[in-house]
Amino acid sequence: MKKRLNITLTWLIILTVTTAIISGFENFRLAPYLILILAAVKFNLVAFEFMELRSAHAFWKFLVIFYSLVFVGIYTIILSS
Amino acid sequence: MEATSMQQKSFLYPPGGIMIWILITLEIITFGAAMIALGVSSRENPELFHISRLKLNTLMGTVNTVFLLTSGYFMAVAVQHVKQHMAPEAAKNILFALLGGLLFVVVKGFEYYAKIEHGYTIGYNTFFTFYWLLTLFHLIHVLVGMGILTGLYFSVRKGITETRQENTETGAAFWHMCDLIWLFLFPVLYLIF
Repeated sequence: MKKRLNITLTWLIILTVTTAIISGFENFRLAPYLILILAAVKFNLVAFEFMELRSAHAFWKFLVIFYSLVFVGIYTIILSS
Repeated sequence: MEATSMQQKSFLYPPGGIMIWILITLEIITFGAAMIALGVSSRENPELFHISRLKLNTLMGTVNTVFLLTSGYFMAVAVQHVKQHMAPEAAKNILFALLGGLLFVVVKGFEYYAKIEHGYTIGYNTFFTFYWLLTLFHLIHVLVGMGILTGLYFSVRKGITETRQENTETGAAFWHMCDLIWLFLFPVLYLIF
């Protein structure tokens, strides 16, 4: 179990540093979308691994995935407008 | 252990209990709505938001994200130890989680000091109004979370009971909620505009 948490933390840190680096690419037009997608991945990693949502009822899993998708979706529409 | 697992599969028993998950749901919806309002406002003056975003310290934001995530990791480990009735190990990990929260607050303090010193206060422009409201509201959650972790630390040190196990799981869920909020707050304030 601890090994799984270690791997999760490693990925979370890698993704955090990656998003910070991507934000520095001024001419990369897809950067904001990519950053938001990576943020959603991190959001789900924390919920499913740290909060043990993977052992919870399907409703709670759906809620977290749905929220992150809707949030990224709305932001994508806002940034594209 | 099997009974707990079966219980968690029930809709009424998410990890930490249903009440904390109702709170988490409401909190992430509230913060989500405020962050969407920030995004909508940015369309009225994208250049202002871009210039203002560049005034924030991305390195400090990144370091703070790592502190919060690492703190969340220690809390997740603490919950595992509590489930195995390993009180000293659980208490030690809660203390590490608390330290992560403290480091977050210290870095945030330095960041706020720099912003105030440069005059980027809550009334400076629309971006900074959102910045102060969202980060301060989040900081309040972190401070409340640290209070909860402090209480859990002293409680778990005395030994593990069924009530203390439930309390730890609920407290951990609150602490992870601070992570969840920050994980979207960090990119929308520091990275994307």
